[in-house]
Amino acid sequence: MTKSLKPRRAPSAGRVTRWLLALAVAVLFALPLYWMIIVSLRPLGLPPPRSVEWWPDQASWQNYRELFSMVPMGRYLRNSLLVVAVSVPMTLLTASLAGFGLAQLRNPWRKRLVMLTVFLLMVPPSAVWLFRYQMLSWTGLLTTLWSLILPAFAGGAPLLVLLFYWTFRRTPPEMYEAAKLEGASAWTAYRHLAMPMARPTVAAVLVLAFGLFWNDFTNPVLYLYRPQTYTLPVGVQILKQLDATNWPLLMAGAVFMTLPVVLLFLGLQPLFLSDKSIQSLLEKD
Amino acid sequence: MNRFRHLFYTYDSQLRLFLLPFLLGSIILIVLPALITVGVAFTRYNAIQPPVWNGLENFRTLLESPLAWLSLRISLQFIFLAVPLRLLGALLLALLLQARGRWFGSLRAAAYLPTIIPEGSFALIWLWILNPLYGPLNAVLGALGLPTPDWLLDPVTARLSFVLMTLFTIGEGMVVLLIGLKTIPRIYHEVARVDGATAWQIFWRITLPLLTPWLLVLTFRDIVVSLQNTFTPSFVMTYGGPYYATTYVPLLLYELAFDLFDFGAAAAMMVVLYVLTAALVIGIINLVDLNRYDEIA
Repeated sequence: MTKSLKPRRAPSAGRVTRWLLALAVAVLFALPLYWMIIVSLRPLGLPPPRSVEWWPDQASWQNYRELFSMVPMGRYLRNSLLVVAVSVPMTLLTASLAGFGLAQLRNPWRKRLVMLTVFLLMVPPSAVWLFRYQMLSWTGLLTTLWSLILPAFAGGAPLLVLLFYWTFRRTPPEMYEAAKLEGASAWTAYRHLAMPMARPTVAAVLVLAFGLFWNDFTNPVLYLYRPQTYTLPVGVQILKQLDATNWPLLMAGAVFMTLPVVLLFLGLQPLFLSDKSIQSLLEKD
Repeated sequence: MNRFRHLFYTYDSQLRLFLLPFLLGSIILIVLPALITVGVAFTRYNAIQPPVWNGLENFRTLLESPLAWLSLRISLQFIFLAVPLRLLGALLLALLLQARGRWFGSLRAAAYLPTIIPEGSFALIWLWILNPLYGPLNAVLGALGLPTPDWLLDPVTARLSFVLMTLFTIGEGMVVLLIGLKTIPRIYHEVARVDGATAWQIFWRITLPLLTPWLLVLTFRDIVVSLQNTFTPSFVMTYGGPYYATTYVPLLLYELAFDLFDFGAAAAMMVVLYVLTAALVIGIINLVDLNRYDEIA
């Protein structure tokens, strides 16, 4: 409505340049995924290309069928799905609860715990490899999918807790005070006041948590030894060990593992990457 | 039982319960393991027999190991090259893609894509891109009449390839800086423009200083994360080669601990990495004034 009232200006040269530059950058960043898909569609046994190939001569789905006959892809897929089915909802719950708790804590404890969380962010994952391996082997969880799921009970990753904390800090504290005075429980305030206002953050954390567990390559390599429990990233690595130069097949495996997380990201990104949602993260100030 | 009712029934005690899984879990899964690693560094330990105290023996062994020195050197080299470039890349992306407009949301999503691709897939596609004979990168370079290096087959270009790859996974940094840019009140820019400041002056005098706390947090995190993220590509693409040229510290740790089961030496290597990282972070803190840190906490 208001848009039609504004006279349409011809775009200036500066804006066109900027737009073209942005487009070029976006294309550059999309190229790796594009090439992955292109190579995965090449028929097996075709000689490798001698120049940049933008579309295969005879695109075919054959490689995707071949995947399942080469390695037990179905089992790897099932294991990966099991891991995300448990860990993503659990991460969403524990991270948002912790973020909510942090945001409402009084100083000096709030500051101390936020600093602790920022500090946790800086601990390199490799620092915990050794002892976590030991703990898992003592508790009998080594080689089980639980060794991958465990962090979900602790918020998934410190960054996800901080994202919820920053979001909840931006909702006016008077709202929670009022709820508290009326005798609402913290759970009610979390469930009915805080979470409905945090939708962009929920979407972002959903994508990040899914990526965290679905993409995980290191933990399966460290903690899974029985082929029955292998997840997709290990499966694709096995594919590479079987035939390291069969590029179309390898890329089919890579695409197979990549598509779910990319589709989830593309589906949810308007909730946190659009102009409006980046602005709404900062509404209060 | 009545004595404990208040534990669950007051608002504030419920809040503390909300924090419990995260705090307890982080202590068990992150803090304790990281601290115990420091202790293990001073023992002989193979993960089967109980650890035996052996003082500085592990560190002495590392000092005498050319591979440990090489690994540390190339890791620091990687950090000094990759972290500033990644930050610059994230900043340029954020500045370029912060514009409002129908298409910019999708362009931001495209720039984020490589960050969300599973590490294993990302390593494989780069193995193809960097293939000296058939890879698209050399095909493009060749078509432009530029030199076509052997990339992963030569120690120097292999390390450059690793830096090049990490320049694509800067989506998180971009998003953080996009949010940082939005916290700068528009009025600052408008006032400066009315006073006749050029776009260049506005960037150096207003935008950059106000972004500094965000850039700092990103720097600290990237020092840790970017090195850690060399693990998957070095495992999948080169397995540390050629001639150990890409045996970065995470891969060396993995080999020491899970191939040789020398947990003591691996822990000592970890401690050396902690100390170097801490020194870097403290050095950066000393370079900049941290009073603007309040934004974050």
